[in-house]
Amino acid sequence: MKQFKDPFEAAFEEQEESPPESPSPADEFNPQPSAAPADTVPVQEEDDLIAPSTSALFPASAAAAAAKPKDEEDEEEEENMEVELAKLPSGGDPHKMVKMQAILSQFTEEQMNRYESFRRSGFQKATMKRLLTSVTGSQKISMPMTIVMSGIAKMFVGELIETARIVMAERNESGPIRPCHIREAYRRLKLEGKVPKRTVPRLFR
Amino acid sequence: MNTASGALAKAKAGASQPSENTTKRKRGIFQKELQHMMYGFGDDPNPLPETVALVEDIVVEYVTDFAHKAQEIGSKRGKLSVEDFLYLVRKDPPKLNRCKELLSMQEELKQARKAFDVDEEKLAASLD
Repeated sequence: MKQFKDPFEAAFEEQEESPPESPSPADEFNPQPSAAPADTVPVQEEDDLIAPSTSALFPASAAAAAAKPKDEEDEEEEENMEVELAKLPSGGDPHKMVKMQAILSQFTEEQMNRYESFRRSGFQKATMKRLLTSVTGSQKISMPMTIVMSGIAKMFVGELIETARIVMAERNESGPIRPCHIREAYRRLKLEGKVPKRTVPRLFR
Repeated sequence: MNTASGALAKAKAGASQPSENTTKRKRGIFQKELQHMMYGFGDDPNPLPETVALVEDIVVEYVTDFAHKAQEIGSKRGKLSVEDFLYLVRKDPPKLNRCKELLSMQEELKQARKAFDVDEEKLAASLD
């Protein structure tokens, strides 16, 4: 599966060696070869911090980092924000960083690929915003709402896929995940109460 | 299971306001991202298309139901706000923590960008 076509991907490799500090204004002015749209300067994105409760079941998502919450600036920020710069998680905790680096350094290539996909993948803010707007009617959907929803949805996908893998293990099956596994996983998540229940019954399925 | 018609019916049933662009939901709006995401979470490097389609349907339904619930909560206070979303995940610590993390990151970036914009103006002014 092809990697992200990501102008910051080259930078990602560099970042791997020496995790930088949080972006300060001086650092941000970092001319990249394939620049973002002309009027926005490429900003170093902070990647996601691994949640303190690193239970295997709920890994931190790599939702694209934020834009300004003001709606008028949404459009230009969004184009810029689609591109992520994967950074090693810091969270201001040196112990965690050390542990993380220890783990990452021992990753096989396949593991590293998967981890990179995990960190970088995320729902497009524009698409999510459109979906939320269509669902809620004419409500104005702010950027924080979109970001939060994307994060929650990504974690939900994680729960689905991981539960599906558990189902596959129970059935001693291997290979790509099939819809039947997802359906069983979905059923289990519903039983656990992880899926919001419809208060209005769904008609005309 | 006929997911294609199910998807359309879902969109119609889910949209609270019938307008041109909400009565139909195009197939595979999240397809590309979902493929990467599913791989990241443990699926094959090339997930089966039917699996991706099913996950997309489930995610859209999840977001729809979630947003509707948030709206129900939000309507009591007037406008829909982020707080309503956070309220809905209050019993799910990993999700709640993640949301708080994302929000504070966004705030941090916003501040950093503001400072940067100011610097850029100063730079531009000094070059004149």
